Amino acid sequence: MTRQKRSHHKLKRAVAPYLYLSPSLLIIGLLMLLPMVTVIAYSFQNSAVLRRDPTFAGLKHYQAIFDDPVFWASLWHTLYFTCMSVIFHMTIGMVFALMLNSDRINPTLRNILRVLYILPWLFTAVIIAVIWRLLLEPNGVVNSILMQIGIIGSKVEWFSSPETALHAVTFANIWAGYPLFMVSLLAGLQGIPKDFYEAADIDGAKAYQKLIFITIPQLMPIIISISLLDFIWTMQVFPLIWITTGGGPIYSTEVLSTYTYKLAFSSYNLSQASASAVVILLISLGLTLFYIRYQKAR
Amino acid sequence: MAEVVLENICKTYGNNFRAIDQLNLSVEDGEFLILVGPSGCGKSTALRMIAGLEDITSGSLRIGGTDVVDMPPKDRDIAMVFQSYALYPHMTVFENIAFSMRLAGKPKAERKKRVDEIAKTLQLTSLLDSKPANLSGGQRQRVAMGRAMVREPAAFLMDEPLSNLDAKLRVQMRAEITRLQKQLGVTTIYVTHDQTEAMTMGDRVAVLKGGVLQQVDTPKRLYESPVNAFVAGFIGSPSMNLFEATLTGGELMSGAFAIRLQDAAFVRRPGLKSYAGRKVVFGIRPEDLYDSSLESGRKYQTIPARVTSIEELGSEHIVHLNIDAVRVDSGDPDAVQDFGLTSNAVARFEPDSTVRSGSEIRLALDDTKLHFFDPETHLAI
Repeated sequence: MTRQKRSHHKLKRAVAPYLYLSPSLLIIGLLMLLPMVTVIAYSFQNSAVLRRDPTFAGLKHYQAIFDDPVFWASLWHTLYFTCMSVIFHMTIGMVFALMLNSDRINPTLRNILRVLYILPWLFTAVIIAVIWRLLLEPNGVVNSILMQIGIIGSKVEWFSSPETALHAVTFANIWAGYPLFMVSLLAGLQGIPKDFYEAADIDGAKAYQKLIFITIPQLMPIIISISLLDFIWTMQVFPLIWITTGGGPIYSTEVLSTYTYKLAFSSYNLSQASASAVVILLISLGLTLFYIRYQKAR
Repeated sequence: MAEVVLENICKTYGNNFRAIDQLNLSVEDGEFLILVGPSGCGKSTALRMIAGLEDITSGSLRIGGTDVVDMPPKDRDIAMVFQSYALYPHMTVFENIAFSMRLAGKPKAERKKRVDEIAKTLQLTSLLDSKPANLSGGQRQRVAMGRAMVREPAAFLMDEPLSNLDAKLRVQMRAEITRLQKQLGVTTIYVTHDQTEAMTMGDRVAVLKGGVLQQVDTPKRLYESPVNAFVAGFIGSPSMNLFEATLTGGELMSGAFAIRLQDAAFVRRPGLKSYAGRKVVFGIRPEDLYDSSLESGRKYQTIPARVTSIEELGSEHIVHLNIDAVRVDSGDPDAVQDFGLTSNAVARFEPDSTVRSGSEIRLALDDTKLHFFDPETHLAI
């Protein structure tokens, strides 16, 4: 092979991977990077989108949202909603996965439970919102049952009362999201060698010791990965809250996504909405970087 | 340390499959007993029943004089080494070895002292902070041993602990486990399907087939006096050659050859006379067959044979042969008929043998080493 041919071959080998990647890079660039950069740009402009020649606003819109008590309430609600969701998704998912993995449950019953437990995953956010609105309405099934067993004395307006609305939407989100954890953890549990438990039995481990010393450490990579992903996804939940409470009453279920949406499409303050979106982006980005670093460390 | 006694132990699974049938076995205090047999013979099931990891359908099991049938594994005072080692990958070597002490709530200082002692015995001291993933197969095996030793049990149960190691390391670890067992003097029941391990490690060997105990004896007696054709074929590598022949006038007649039997053969086995004029199964080990052209083979009678292939191992030649006789199946499900149907016998020749593949030879055999079995029951005569 001549020197010229060799260098041509080298160049082809160097360029080929980028040629293969170019369609996906183009799509990501157009559909993700471009809107992201545009939103960031809007957050530094006055009357973005609404005027043809918007002026530079500096950090004014960031200042405005940081001065807005509703923003801080939204941030707190978002954190509460997300943390409670992730914790309970994990706990319920783990309990159900352990139950479905247990030899003590009759195989037929186990198959029935598997289908029942996975049902919430089949519903879209809109259906989940409608189901829980119906169940939790003042004359709904939940109130009726709770009153019959004496837990509550009078009808509670779960989604309409500022004291209960955030808990109610969080509850609905927990119900909708645990199957992902359950399925992932069940797959993890089935991958733990039986020998580990038998060796522990011989060593005298009790059930809770096997859970602490074997099951949880063995599931830890799945627990961390799925929790981080759930944190990122739950932070951005919009339809469930929008359909059940719309962020109300009196901002009691306002989260960052509904807060941003209202700024953009109710107040038409697109610059401030962009600033709020950038804040959400930064929080998600931080979590994503943490997730990527964790994945790399593994 | 304790005696382990199994009496009429049976194991039947839900689908009525009987994995173990009336197993009676007594393992003396400090004895090293090997449970051996082909795949699916029930040896691991038997061990798991002793450990308490499988329920016993019927029968009695005593460890150190205590009936343990209804006891959970932790109360049986046993330790087990698993085939996979079952080391916890998220724990260090120290944590793995100390795990049972930690569960028992032993103080940290006591744990450290005991683990250090064991690590020294097993030459693991420098590896105590390593995770199992960073250890070699042999080191993992030693950690698994350490985890069993730390409990100071009445009996060790080992389930094919060397099967994951390469051949060279297996030989080394065989000697190491035997040395440790002698040093500790703990009653040990060791399961393997490798008859070389069985023959080299145990004080006694119990051979199982289809859940039924065939013979329990010292390795030497198993080799020299197998109770049936299965044990004869299973013990020894390569396996004993088993053929069908007719006993006529003090000779074994088969196809184109006859093997003359000495009077001593009938004196040693009085029952053999009753087979006169009838079919009988005879067996001869590969090491009792000789190349008649060499000095070692000249003193024996010969039969015609054709060499089908040769494996030159340096110290010996494993020679696959075809002789004019009907080969008898010993009943070992793991045994493979050599090279299809082209050969029906195997011999171990000295390395200076010059026989070549495809050649017709005279095969010398030491008729004093012949074994005889009933053609119907396969029991030794």
